[in-house]
Amino acid sequence: MRSLALKILFGDRAKLFGLIAGVAFATVLITQQGGLFVGLMTRVQNVIADAGDVDIWVMDPSTEQVNLAKPMRYAQLLKVRGVPGVASAAPLFKANLPVRGQGGKARTAMLLGVDNTTYTGITKRFLIGSPVNLRQPDAIAIDRVGFMRLWPGEPVKPGKILELNDRRAKIVAITDAAAAFSAQVILHTPYNRASKYVPHGRNRLSFVLVKVPTGIDPKIVAAEIEQRTGLKAELSQSFSEATVRYYLKNTGITINFATTIILGIVVGMAIVGLTFSLFVNDNLKHYAVLKALGATNFRLAKLVAYQIAVVTFIGFAIGTGVAAAFFELVSSPTSALRGFFIPWWMPLITLAVMSLSIILSTSIALRRVLVVEAATVFRV
Amino acid sequence: MNHIDTQIINRDAVFCSNVVKAFGRGETRTQALNGVNFSARLGEMTFVIGPSGCGKTTLLSIITGVLAADLGHVEVLGTSLAELKGTMLPRFRGENIGLVLQQFNLLPALNLVENVAIPLILQGVREREANERSIRLLEELGLAHHLPKHPYELSVGQQQRVAVARALIHEPRLIVCDEPTAALDAETGLKVMHLLRETVLSPERAIIVVTHDDRIEPFADRIAYMIDGRIEQVVGCDQYERVL
Repeated sequence: MRSLALKILFGDRAKLFGLIAGVAFATVLITQQGGLFVGLMTRVQNVIADAGDVDIWVMDPSTEQVNLAKPMRYAQLLKVRGVPGVASAAPLFKANLPVRGQGGKARTAMLLGVDNTTYTGITKRFLIGSPVNLRQPDAIAIDRVGFMRLWPGEPVKPGKILELNDRRAKIVAITDAAAAFSAQVILHTPYNRASKYVPHGRNRLSFVLVKVPTGIDPKIVAAEIEQRTGLKAELSQSFSEATVRYYLKNTGITINFATTIILGIVVGMAIVGLTFSLFVNDNLKHYAVLKALGATNFRLAKLVAYQIAVVTFIGFAIGTGVAAAFFELVSSPTSALRGFFIPWWMPLITLAVMSLSIILSTSIALRRVLVVEAATVFRV
Repeated sequence: MNHIDTQIINRDAVFCSNVVKAFGRGETRTQALNGVNFSARLGEMTFVIGPSGCGKTTLLSIITGVLAADLGHVEVLGTSLAELKGTMLPRFRGENIGLVLQQFNLLPALNLVENVAIPLILQGVREREANERSIRLLEELGLAHHLPKHPYELSVGQQQRVAVARALIHEPRLIVCDEPTAALDAETGLKVMHLLRETVLSPERAIIVVTHDDRIEPFADRIAYMIDGRIEQVVGCDQYERVL
């Protein structure tokens, strides 16, 4: 019976192509847009991800997410250090500012000032040099893609000079810092120096990064910090989630991506629904013949369901392949879309959404198969 | 006829008693069958003849169980169709009835072997075995050189032969033919009727033919004349020897 279903299905190549194209189109849109969405949500928390082993992020109570911190007085750092259970507390300065490469282009940069001695919060991925190089005068570390944007076509290596608010900075190390949501260049430098590049404002402390000794529950320490300092203390994981929630709630990203994905589903399913409807219409007399020859409705439903499943599988495989190829092509480590990927669960969600949509869009056609009268075989 | 056991001949393959069927409601209501009494015997070829719209096809649909009678009793091969519920009716039809249709209704996506094998596959026979049996039957019917072809690559006469093969493959005891020669020229029509008469008809099998084509009447053992939803007359025939 499966063989029969396949032969009927493959017997009409034009409609088969239409069906597969519809499913593939919707799959590409869902997977590709879903991947981009996940990539963007990963980018908004890049600073937290790069900070690695930090247990607790301490901030002003009004701060809701990592990219929009209300600066605190430096004295707050000392208060946090005095809380029982805190193994170490390091300052983090974070600001966006324009940067210009000497002999190169101007770009927007994210400047991260990390603790002068421990470098807590700095990215672990150094391609050339190490945090120790930052001890040199005017030293700054730049991410590889940022370097390529400031000096397109030039070899990526230390030694270049940057201008930050008319101040000089010398590149001493190249990092592979996680891509940021909006900034095109990511710079790391010691806390004291960073605050000189952004001279305005009295308070400079964006976050205090806390580590907790092994065996101590960070939740308890965070609660203690909040109680004793009046500041907000979030575990790394929950701060990441809070940041993502902030963007989902307060930006148009969600609605934009959701609109594209829904349009993809609707258009894809309209194609599949209409094409399958035409396919069933053309084959209705054949289904009637099968009924007249003794096929039960259940067997016919199985036959049609098998045809739908085959189309879904082929279209889904092609669509997923195309989406994967897209990310493979555009998200190389040196490209603007670096870090974008298809999470393992995205194809599963896509398959579930596609299957549900296809069942809905083909159910009318399937119903026609079930109600077609075998008696029609006697009519000319 | 004389080679057929008379005891078998007298057994009814189909027995219809006072069958009534109407379509539509109110002013559009059409009385298709108006108390039909009809029988077809094993070992015989029974023709149903009548003008267009007299209810021949409706009667055929009810005998094959693809339509249900509004009133009356229909018994096929000793089984009352009214007693077959749910999937029992299509299964019964699939196992016991072979259909030869006016437009052949072969599936264009399948080749001859696959088309003929359908009734077996619907009964759960493995595809390989079904295809082997299909090939044997098609060879017997003179289509050995056309096995891999698709229906649209054959002449209409050859297509009808394939349809006959499909009706025979599962060895049903009742073959129902709806205008089997309507789409064929005279010569091809006669060949198909010879095939049905010589190869298909057997003491354990009944054939019912609904037709307008009076050229093939000599092939009938009995002819039921139908007018306005009733069987008006049934006559026994002994003319087959003359067409041989």
